[in-house]
Amino acid sequence: MPNPAGHRRNLAPWWGLLFAIGAIGCHGAFFLSSPLQGALPWLSLSLAVLALIFLVAGLWRALGQPQVYRGKALSVVLSVIAVLAIGLTAFAFVSARKLPSSIAAPQVGQRIPDFSLSDTSGKRLSLGQLLAASPGSPAPKAVLLIFYRGYW
Amino acid sequence: MRPVAISVDPPEVSRSLANKAGYTFPILSDPDAAVIRQYHLLHLAGSPDGHDIARPAEFLVDSSRVVRWTNFTEDIRVRARADDMLASARQLR
Repeated sequence: MPNPAGHRRNLAPWWGLLFAIGAIGCHGAFFLSSPLQGALPWLSLSLAVLALIFLVAGLWRALGQPQVYRGKALSVVLSVIAVLAIGLTAFAFVSARKLPSSIAAPQVGQRIPDFSLSDTSGKRLSLGQLLAASPGSPAPKAVLLIFYRGYW
Repeated sequence: MRPVAISVDPPEVSRSLANKAGYTFPILSDPDAAVIRQYHLLHLAGSPDGHDIARPAEFLVDSSRVVRWTNFTEDIRVRARADDMLASARQLR
């Protein structure tokens, strides 16, 4: 791009956007192995903070020192995009963790009460039946109960 | 080890899930969340349209109905890994 006024390039907003993308990427990498799970939100948060620092610096340069730096409109546009993306990601992070406590739920070593519920064909099945041998298959060593939010 | 899935979905919805995903293990319906409540796993207004649903949780239960392994996620996107569940089942003797 020609730069007749001899203004300096303002790269800070681009760095801000790059760190924002990194922060969102870390947030999206939740499916990685469990030991990383605890570190990822912190990495994400640190990158988001870095992104905001660079965005503020970029805006400060573009709007506060227009005689030195160019890219006024661009730095505003990049900042808005990055802040919106970080905001949406933070919102998704908070909503994904809005879960009730599991303190009162059955814990290891506890004997759980039997129950009886309908399967997909409407047939009642009890936990006792699930733990017992059925025609064609021996009794399983254990039953893995998977409670899930539902299908939608 | 026999996997069994439980949610508040009616049997028809669970059937379409089983058909779509090819699941052959039992999927049980707890439309009133009676068992979910009994196990203290109720997530009030937890579904996108504000219905009461189960919080995600996994239990390995042995033949005398004693819990041998649990997994309670703190993030709805992170669930028990198949490897971990299979490893927990292998440890039962």
